[in-house]
Amino acid sequence: MAKEIREITIALSGNPNSGKTTIFNNLTGLRQHVGNYPGVTVEKKTGVIKYKGYRINVVDLPGTYSLTAYSLDEIVARNFVINEKPDVVVDVVDSSNLERNLYLATQLMELDVPLILAFNMTDVAKKSGKKIDIGLLSELFGTPIVETVGSRGLGSDELLEAVIKVVSSRKRKEKKVEVKYGEEVENEIGKIISVLKKEKVPILKFDARWIAVKLLEQDRDIIDTLKKASGPEYSKIEDAVTGSINHITSILRDTPEVIIADGRYGFINGALREAYKEVDSGKLDVSEKIDRVLTNRILGIPIFVLIIWLMFQFVFTLGKYPMGWIELGFEKLSVLITEIVPQGLIRSLLVDGIIGGVGGVITFTPNIILLFFAIALLEDSGYMARAAFVMDRIMHKIGLHGKSFIPLIIGFGCTVPAYMGSRILENRRDRLVTMHINTFMSCGARLPVYILFAGAFFPAIAGNVIFSIYLIGVLMAVIMARVLRATRFKGESDPFVMELPPYRIPTLKGILIHTWERTWMYIKKAGTIILAISILVWILFTFPMIGNNYSQDYNGQIEKIEQSYRSGEITEDELNEKAAVIEGKMAGERLTYSTAGRIGRFLEPAFRPLGFDWKIVVATISGIAAKEVVVSTMGTLYSIQEAEGQSDSLKTALYKHYHPLVGYNFMLFTLLYFPCMAGMVMFRKEAGTKEMLFQIGYTFLLAWVMSFLVFQIGRLFI
Amino acid sequence: MKRWGLRHRGGDARKTPLAGNGIFSMADAVPGKKYRIVRIDGGYRLNSRLCAMGFIPNEIFYVSGASRGGPLCVVVKGTKFAIGRGMAERIQIREI
Repeated sequence: MAKEIREITIALSGNPNSGKTTIFNNLTGLRQHVGNYPGVTVEKKTGVIKYKGYRINVVDLPGTYSLTAYSLDEIVARNFVINEKPDVVVDVVDSSNLERNLYLATQLMELDVPLILAFNMTDVAKKSGKKIDIGLLSELFGTPIVETVGSRGLGSDELLEAVIKVVSSRKRKEKKVEVKYGEEVENEIGKIISVLKKEKVPILKFDARWIAVKLLEQDRDIIDTLKKASGPEYSKIEDAVTGSINHITSILRDTPEVIIADGRYGFINGALREAYKEVDSGKLDVSEKIDRVLTNRILGIPIFVLIIWLMFQFVFTLGKYPMGWIELGFEKLSVLITEIVPQGLIRSLLVDGIIGGVGGVITFTPNIILLFFAIALLEDSGYMARAAFVMDRIMHKIGLHGKSFIPLIIGFGCTVPAYMGSRILENRRDRLVTMHINTFMSCGARLPVYILFAGAFFPAIAGNVIFSIYLIGVLMAVIMARVLRATRFKGESDPFVMELPPYRIPTLKGILIHTWERTWMYIKKAGTIILAISILVWILFTFPMIGNNYSQDYNGQIEKIEQSYRSGEITEDELNEKAAVIEGKMAGERLTYSTAGRIGRFLEPAFRPLGFDWKIVVATISGIAAKEVVVSTMGTLYSIQEAEGQSDSLKTALYKHYHPLVGYNFMLFTLLYFPCMAGMVMFRKEAGTKEMLFQIGYTFLLAWVMSFLVFQIGRLFI
Repeated sequence: MKRWGLRHRGGDARKTPLAGNGIFSMADAVPGKKYRIVRIDGGYRLNSRLCAMGFIPNEIFYVSGASRGGPLCVVVKGTKFAIGRGMAERIQIREI
């Protein structure tokens, strides 16, 4: 018995900070899917709800102020509505700020899509003394209006009811409310429409009036689309439009896009005059009071530094414990596999390759979760925007955008999500420069390398040495930002305008969903790409196999020791110790024999001027998979059985083999040469292959040059 | 080239308020005071963007804060925006 299930698609649109995401979360819960809009790096969130026999697909459009072609977000939102023709568009409106929020609604009305307005945060509006006549407003706008309070989960069912009502009464066309722009503009719109009709311009899926308005607004996206569709005939339209624009500008003394915007606000204000009353509640704005402190000229930056410091304390101090547990878990898993899987390639692949590689990345998950939690908290509370405001002057000086600092801060945790975070920058140049320097924000995976080397060579001042590396990273970022701005990415950065939303107490649900989404993206990377690369690296480090080509008869030596144990000459402890030394040597030789070892030897001459020997080169290569792998590779190379956690003896070995200058130099090299493979994969996804290759090339070159200088100059003093 | 001209105009307005009519750029607005927007010297793109955010001729706004040499905090149509100095210089305003 097939009960017919009707499928509906609704698109959620709304201004940034209108609470759209909360409404989306309320509607879909955890059944969300995060992807990209085809061909662009704008995040697309979708979710499915089953409601009263309907299967409702909810698409969360990017938060925008309007549907012009100003930013990628706006074009994506607009194209989705035009091309995908959702059954209903729900525009989420902040009820305490109607005039501004309804601007987007007027543009959706112009697109002539089935529209529902969700008046969100009605509680805040009522509390601050605003009275809205919903019924009248609904009539004036010609759309249903539903009241919601997203933060308390109210109104979701009413919203869905309204959606179903609109969908089922679709056939009977209600009277369409049209925004009028005044006589002059309307005349010109009429003229352009008639030219469009006369020239038989293929107006595609668009409405003729809407196209005319967009042409008057000089909307690049629409102009280009029309040009492509109509070929040389387009010049006639172009002439007509230019004529209209000049006519309007000369009579009304302002350009059409301003006049048209004015018309939209005029329509909104006309409606609000009748259906809206504001009673001054006499309360002082709390947000204003908080801002007096947080964005204070003098206190702003110290407070920002303090908050970031607290965030790092929170992430790293608290993250230490679960990280330890996960590490222990993987260790136990390794032991278990060692017990049940017979010695050989499969065991080696599982333990050294997969657990070593993927496990290393998963171990950082608690840190990542906490970091994303902290960032979500800062974002949802409204502080993030203030931080961008406070930092804009400094960031501007080094050729970056106020918002750039957000991905840069994330970079200290992990470069992979930091690249994702660069999406908040609208201008491609700003975004690329920010991404290109992000790798110098020393990520968490590099810390184990620093801890090992600083501990080996500068045990007394390890903390300061590590700090100096972080500092050099920041300095490099500043220098390279300026260099890139002056060369490859010349040109003005986007003008800085950013809403400073009122401070709000974030909802736990919202923060948890935010955190989970991003963490999941990270884990997925570990499960797919990093898994593949771990296996590849394992192959490089395993093949060709040494067979019987050891330089000494190690197996014979082990047998001898075992014999002397059996005859009682040495104790069991001594046996284990000696056997471990020999097995370590064997591992070292196996590694030397492998492809990675050969590559290391082959490349050694290129790294000699930096003071590096082939072992460091091999470790560097292994660091491409994930930087912290450098530590375990060093362990193997120095024949120390890492499983026993003898990193002290590795430190001793390093100290014996290298001068501290080389040790420091390697830390510097590790900081500068490009981030791990996962990072590169993300970079490519966000910016394309060309930019990724540039990133790899220039960071590697920079690392080489810097290390060369440090070693050659440093040598003069030792 | 066009951009240059516009910036230049903005720059002039900064130094010498156009004689008599008291028009100057938003970058020179004083925190706590109310002003009216007169004109935006941007291209159609910037104009559309600013209009969508509520920066539209005849609109009243006030400056709630500013960092020295950095962006301004401006409240327009009930929402607070951080607005870069370069951008503020292109918005012509007058006192009310």
